[in-house]
Amino acid sequence: MSTQIISVLVEDEAGSLTRMSGMFSRRGINIHSLTVSPSEKEGMSRMTIVTTGDEREIEKIEKQLNKLIEVVKVNILDKNTSVVRDLCLLKVYADKENRAEVLEIANAFKSNIVDISIRTITLEITADPLDIDRFVETMKNFGIKELFRTGVTAISRDIEKKSGG
Amino acid sequence: MSGGLKGTEIVVKCLKEENVKNIFGFPGGQLIPLYDQLFEETDIRNILVRHEQGAAHAADGYARASGEPGVCMATSGPGATNLITGLLNATMDSIPVVAFTAQVPTKAIGTDAFQEADTFGITMPITKHNFLVKSTDHLSWTIKGAFKIANTGRKGAVVIDLPNDVQQKTSKEYHHGEVKFAGYNPSIVPNPLQLKRIAQKLVEAERPLILAGGGVILANASEDLRILAEYLGAGVATTLMGKGAIPENHPLSLGMVGMHGRLGANKMINNCDVLFVIGCRFSDRTTGWGLESFAPDAVKIHCDIDSSELNKNITVDFPLVGDANLVIKDLIKFIKKYEDVKKDTNIWRKRVNQLHGMCEECETIKPNGKLTPENIIKTINDFLDDNAIVTTEVGQNQMFAAHYYVTKKPRQFISSGGLGTMGFGFPAAIGAKVAKPDSQVLDIAGDGSFLMVCQELATAMAENIPVVVAILNNSFLGMVRQWQELFWDKRYSGTKLGTIPDFVKLAESFGAYGERVEKASDIEKALKNAFDSGVVSVLDFKIESETNILPMIPPGGRIIGRIFV
Repeated sequence: MSTQIISVLVEDEAGSLTRMSGMFSRRGINIHSLTVSPSEKEGMSRMTIVTTGDEREIEKIEKQLNKLIEVVKVNILDKNTSVVRDLCLLKVYADKENRAEVLEIANAFKSNIVDISIRTITLEITADPLDIDRFVETMKNFGIKELFRTGVTAISRDIEKKSGG
Repeated sequence: MSGGLKGTEIVVKCLKEENVKNIFGFPGGQLIPLYDQLFEETDIRNILVRHEQGAAHAADGYARASGEPGVCMATSGPGATNLITGLLNATMDSIPVVAFTAQVPTKAIGTDAFQEADTFGITMPITKHNFLVKSTDHLSWTIKGAFKIANTGRKGAVVIDLPNDVQQKTSKEYHHGEVKFAGYNPSIVPNPLQLKRIAQKLVEAERPLILAGGGVILANASEDLRILAEYLGAGVATTLMGKGAIPENHPLSLGMVGMHGRLGANKMINNCDVLFVIGCRFSDRTTGWGLESFAPDAVKIHCDIDSSELNKNITVDFPLVGDANLVIKDLIKFIKKYEDVKKDTNIWRKRVNQLHGMCEECETIKPNGKLTPENIIKTINDFLDDNAIVTTEVGQNQMFAAHYYVTKKPRQFISSGGLGTMGFGFPAAIGAKVAKPDSQVLDIAGDGSFLMVCQELATAMAENIPVVVAILNNSFLGMVRQWQELFWDKRYSGTKLGTIPDFVKLAESFGAYGERVEKASDIEKALKNAFDSGVVSVLDFKIESETNILPMIPPGGRIIGRIFV
């Protein structure tokens, strides 16, 4: 069982999101995260779904997605050849005593400070989801007040073909 | 006048372009505009059912008998929700049905208005696709798209939800020609390379077996299937849905496989060296539960129009996507090229022929003049002509029918396979009779199933649709009782129906013909009386309460496991 990222190009029709998520629940497949956004094609959206499954299960999901009328293209993204990003907004407790330490770690993770109050600091980080997991784990030591993650979005890299040969 | 067409005029125009001649429906407040449009329409017969579920099943039966999409309609809210069972029934058996449901006016959607239901949301997971039409401008495109989706690729039910104002407003927009969807282009042409490999495997087989499912019937591929089987010397077993894919009196026919399948068919599945499965989705009722022991030694070939069925339940050696008709036609061509390397299958063919003629389990119940399901169905076999259509309800009656009724042509055995819907057979028979008015149509029913939909006797009387219902009346919900007897210590919880109602009087109260039959010697006469009566008929065959349908693979068992005889 491994985490898989599925990128789906769908027609913008009322209900396409329900139809898509309904397929997952009906087939008993868990969705870890789901993002929907406009795509480069007019009238079409891109959904990025993160789920777990072995090769065979992912193949089943791919086929079931392809059966949906609004689905135009399904891509199973290879993590090795894709850029994967998640955005996290995190409000962490930081008082006088540990504020410096929080900021130091925030800096180390290259996160941005987006708000500060007397008792909290709000940080923003855009990174690979695994890096964000580590960031969140570390911040837990100080106490997390609120946490938001957008869910994964991903794009494949264009690998230049070797010429000659 | 602004010009253009009213929404309901667009609906009717589209229906005519789709060659729709019959609609099964039931009106209601929000559906009045469409009913009004159909009031003086002479080219489309508007059949009033007495419950919306009957409309969906009748449209389904119509589609199965005719090969054309069935059409039904219902009002908003409860009308639409009453269609649900029938729509899922059609989708699970890949039957093209287009359903129109009325909806509250677009402005009222979301206000919890009177008779408002989220039909679009409710029908999404039970149909192949569905639409909520928000503007009359989109109506013609939607209807044409709906028929395309319902009737191409792997077929299924499609719902079009029509708000009241969309029915009444006018529009100048009318879509001509084919509707195209960016994400829908079902691939039905089989891959020639894979076909070639499959053809090679088939000619190399010494013990070839074909397992034909409902896809063969839906693709009208039965005739070519027979040619392929004869050429290969392959036995042909079928699923419940595939019954009729090969004439069951053909010497290569082995009958139905699976949980209640023929012993011979199940045996041969496990003895073949190449298993060619076409238009079948390997349901658990077909395979039994030990999937690894299904045809364990065979090279498995699986062809289906729906790629998501390939390697879904059973992993196969040669998967192939394609329409059954094209697959079989192309295979015949390829196989003829390999004539010189074709293995001799004569020994196997003889075994198949032997098993065809022999039905061990059929002999276990001796004909003793008693009224038994076997006697009744065997008499029905002799009585009906070659064009007759038999429908079934669900339960013991269905399995008795599957076992003993000899289906000679495709589209003449109509049964609820995937969903197993009690109350399907009678309205489906009405739909089939509308599609084929010159054919004898008979529903092999159970007392429990028939009572669920007996109000459609009014439909059949009012619309002059003379079908015959043959109730195998055991005063029980027989199949559940059988399970309770065999696996639940004979605790007949909730299954005893008793002798309520008097089915003869029930029939007569509708003006229908009713007759009770208690002796085997009276079966044929009763059938004759029913078909001669010229009206819808109910034959109440009083059979023993605790009759079992055997053989069966116990739940959790394997196809080669213990079989009750």
